[in-house]
Amino acid sequence: MNQLIYAFATWLDTHSWSTQLHESFYMYNWVESTHVLALMVSLGLLFLIDLRMLGLAFVDIPATAIAHRLFLPMLIGFSVMIVTGLLLFYAIPVRTSQSLWFRIKVVLLIAAAVNAWLFHRRMQDAGSSAAGSWDLAVKAPRRLQIGAALSLIFWGFIVICGRLIAYDWFDCRGEPSPFVSTITGCIADQTQF
Amino acid sequence: MRMLKRSLLLSLPLLAIYSWQAWGHHAFSAEFDKEAPVTLEGSVTKIEWINPHAWIHLAVVNAQGETIDWMVEGGTPNTLLRSGIHKNSIPIGSEIVVRGYQAKDKRCQPACKANGRDLTFADGRKVFMGSSGTGAPKDGSDPRESR
Repeated sequence: MNQLIYAFATWLDTHSWSTQLHESFYMYNWVESTHVLALMVSLGLLFLIDLRMLGLAFVDIPATAIAHRLFLPMLIGFSVMIVTGLLLFYAIPVRTSQSLWFRIKVVLLIAAAVNAWLFHRRMQDAGSSAAGSWDLAVKAPRRLQIGAALSLIFWGFIVICGRLIAYDWFDCRGEPSPFVSTITGCIADQTQF
Repeated sequence: MRMLKRSLLLSLPLLAIYSWQAWGHHAFSAEFDKEAPVTLEGSVTKIEWINPHAWIHLAVVNAQGETIDWMVEGGTPNTLLRSGIHKNSIPIGSEIVVRGYQAKDKRCQPACKANGRDLTFADGRKVFMGSSGTGAPKDGSDPRESR
């Protein structure tokens, strides 16, 4: 698995566009700044939805109204965030794919995606249930609250991990301990970093 | 009043995250040791002209006559260009002097690491090679830092 990831990353690294972005005077900075700004837009909106479900924000506005209205701008923010995120990975594929923080981040991203899918389905179920509308209630049904809380936790840690990718404490170049080395997928005698 | 309490309660974790980030932003103190200033005189072996930080690799001969490999972190390619350093202005093999601070990780694996503050070319020209606002010590090497 780690061999495969390393092979893929080194292959990406041979692309001249990857190198050009990595060595660029402006583009990398623009991409990175856009990533962070898009994150503020999309997560800002997502957190508003989550906090409404938990009864902590805008309790006087129907929950589904908030969710539906913020959904599209949130999705646009997400798209920009994902595209710029992929570009950042493309610029520095080898080091990033072997970053402890990046690997934790990917696991959390998958968890957040599954959680979002479940949340979406539960909201549709809750909307069509005979139990009546919970729209005006301060708090959403329990199942949705759990989803909202998990979303806050997952994304909070995703942002923190993303920030920590910048630091080189566990980089393969620094020959970390065997345990860390296994998790980060350092390859014995690797020549590219 | 309830609303006020609630918003105060909500802002606490945000404040915690913010202050944590403020610490984290100081990339310098996270990786480099301000108590370990170094002056490295050697020949350039390799230049990584990359974002977010460029790296200049130096072969430095120490007092014992051993050659030690150093890699010195600079600003972004953009910052370096603006302070007067271009990829082609430091040919491989050229002799330079770099002042900076060694990494906290002093195992020197695979090379000793340092954060570069200024760089002096063989002709005596001195340029700032770091980034402003990283939390590095105010040692006068950054012409833009407020004293």
